[in-house]
Amino acid sequence: MLKCELKKFFSKMTNKLILAVLLLVSVIISFLAVDSMNYSDTGEEFASGTGRITVGRSRTSDKNKWKGRLTPKKIADAVGNYHKLEKADSESVWSDRSVKEEPLYLDILYFAANIYQTESDVVHADLDRLAEEDIEHIYDTYADNLQKVAKEYGETPEQEKLLREQYGKIEIPVTYEAYDSWKTMATYAEMYILILVVVIGFLAAEILGEEFRNHTEQVFFTAKYGRSKAVRNKIITGILTTTIVYWVGIGILSLISFGMMGVSGYDTPYQMEDPYNMYIVTQGQYYLLIVVCGYIASLLSASITMLITSKMHTEKIAVFIPIIMYWVPLIMGNRLSTMTKVFYFLTSALVNIDKGINYMTFFQMGNVVIRLIPFVMVLYAAVFLILLPYVYRSYLGYDSAKHSHRESRKRCRMERKLEERSI
Amino acid sequence: MELRFKNVSKKYGEVFAVNDVSYSMETGVYGLLGVNGAGKTTLMTMLCAVTRPTTGEITWDGNDIFKLGERYRDLLGYLPQNFGFYPDLSVSDYMMYIASIKGIRPAAAKKRLKELLEMVGLSKYRDRKMKALSGGMARRVGIAQAMLNDPKILVLDEPTAGLDPSERIRFRNLISELAADRLVLLSTHIVSDVEFIAEQIILMKAGKFFFTGTSDELIAGMEADVWNCKVFGNKVNEYMQKYPVGNVKHVSGGVELRILSKTPPSENAVREVPALEDAFLLYFGEKAGDEDAEI
Ligand SMILES: Nc1ncnc2c1ncn2[C@@H]1O[C@H](COP(=O)(O)OP(=O)(O)OP(=O)(O)O)[C@@H](O)[C@H]1O
Ligand SMILES: [Mg+2]
Repeated sequence: MLKCELKKFFSKMTNKLILAVLLLVSVIISFLAVDSMNYSDTGEEFASGTGRITVGRSRTSDKNKWKGRLTPKKIADAVGNYHKLEKADSESVWSDRSVKEEPLYLDILYFAANIYQTESDVVHADLDRLAEEDIEHIYDTYADNLQKVAKEYGETPEQEKLLREQYGKIEIPVTYEAYDSWKTMATYAEMYILILVVVIGFLAAEILGEEFRNHTEQVFFTAKYGRSKAVRNKIITGILTTTIVYWVGIGILSLISFGMMGVSGYDTPYQMEDPYNMYIVTQGQYYLLIVVCGYIASLLSASITMLITSKMHTEKIAVFIPIIMYWVPLIMGNRLSTMTKVFYFLTSALVNIDKGINYMTFFQMGNVVIRLIPFVMVLYAAVFLILLPYVYRSYLGYDSAKHSHRESRKRCRMERKLEERSI
Repeated sequence: MELRFKNVSKKYGEVFAVNDVSYSMETGVYGLLGVNGAGKTTLMTMLCAVTRPTTGEITWDGNDIFKLGERYRDLLGYLPQNFGFYPDLSVSDYMMYIASIKGIRPAAAKKRLKELLEMVGLSKYRDRKMKALSGGMARRVGIAQAMLNDPKILVLDEPTAGLDPSERIRFRNLISELAADRLVLLSTHIVSDVEFIAEQIILMKAGKFFFTGTSDELIAGMEADVWNCKVFGNKVNEYMQKYPVGNVKHVSGGVELRILSKTPPSENAVREVPALEDAFLLYFGEKAGDEDAEI
């Protein structure tokens, strides 16, 4: 029975079209991601022509000359080198000045500068203030600052404890490997996920809504299993297709992007990017976190649109709900979250991990403290599961009289008019 | 095998679509006749358990059909008036899907599908997309779909709507074949659909059954005779206003009218053998004007 339902899903023209477009979008986003590697922070292009495609890989392998444990000495080397370049640069005559190349160890410089920079609202750490002689003690400063940050941002003793625990997991000295592809893909995957969650909501709503739209509901609900197994299978189909569409989409995106850019830096700690971040993950794990949250968002999207469709007997309203759940808060997000912390915990948090990972936001109840991301993951996965029985019950509670027969009544009136005329 | 309505009513807002119907059905063909809005579809949807009666009870062998649930639906085949389908599925995929939700195993379903498509004359079209079928062909798929589970109760809401004349005749023969050992309830506006195949005729009007019985009983009970009379073309309207008029036939030198009346409408009127059609006209036709005025 499930096979028949799946066959029905994949034989639908609109679905085929949507899946083809999704595929195309994933290819386009992959190429955009790869191409974005071609620009330095200052906006210069590294390569042209076909070189644009391989630039990510070659930049990464150049950067990987600095791969390995970032001992104070190694960091000091980078800082020394940087200051020498800057000095030479400022002394040279304007006309001699060659295009300033982005140093390959820039990630390391920022890491070091960020260690001295505990205020999270500063966007760019000042590289010029890095002093070679300080670097010898950089990890001591780091350890001290971690304690300070834990105290400052932990608003309750429990939160402070949690921060200390997490910070205790940071391996010092950190190990570096160029992670440009992961960093790039975090942004582009979020972009693709934003599209997926809405499309998936639509596809799932359709599985239930098509019966009403096609006027097949009466045959469906009078079939032996029309109010039991067949409904269950529709819901399972919704979950299965969500899973298939989501992971095939993300799979293609990842395969093309990482295929071209390489996977260097999977094990580089996220702390390279943000030394005081409370999520102790590697760059690769961070990417996985994004796509898993996207999956939870997709499942939730599917279950909510299915629920609304089965309550309203049409998918027309339901398909807009994911936009309200995931897009609208993102657009108004910054303004809202300054008003109250609750806005951090909206469904949109699931598709906004690349920002959410930077928020020092906790959920606390009694002395149980959970960080924002695991909290929304568990919360919305639970909501998804809880909704399913409601979808089931409300769908099989179908009654043709309650189902507003606007169309059939209109037809009825027309028939009557026709008859009047013929009499 | 007994399907029984006990004081069944269905109210939409203030309107009774079905008003206090009590009736019992066993095997055989039941023809449900009534004008638009008489409540035929509403009655059938209750019988198929897609909507609950406002008051009253429908039982199958003494058990409430809503309580029987799956066991009852297993016996049921239903062709709704507003028959819809999945446009992108082929005929055979459509049938296989319906078979699956009816709980028929794929192997059995395949065999049954072949038989049924042959029966409704669509074997050639089994791989055609549903959206590429004509209205009449789709309706035939609808009939085949209802038969998939070899139902004990077959409910067909205007099954002949959109069928061409030859297909209509085929359909009538088909129903007579199917009727053995089955309860078939079919609704229609077209008297000839049920005239010869329905053992029981039910006339429905404004939510009530106002006649139930055989075709002969219905005709015998008519309080009017059927007359054939030839009039001049300019007199037709006059007669139409005075009497219920069935067939109007143009012949040389005037118009032949089939008129229902207790007394001969004119001197040259010839008495005719009454048919079911005349009864339908008598009971529904004359009031048509009044009914429309109510709406
Ligand atoms: N869902 C509904 N909501 C409100 N009124 C309805 C609904 N369905 C039917 N009705 C009303 O109930 C009455 C009976 O309708 P029904 O469809 O049962 O008639 P019918 O005999 O099947 O007519 P037709 O020959 O046109 O199919 C009509 O007055 C109709 O307007
Ligand atoms: Mg009807």
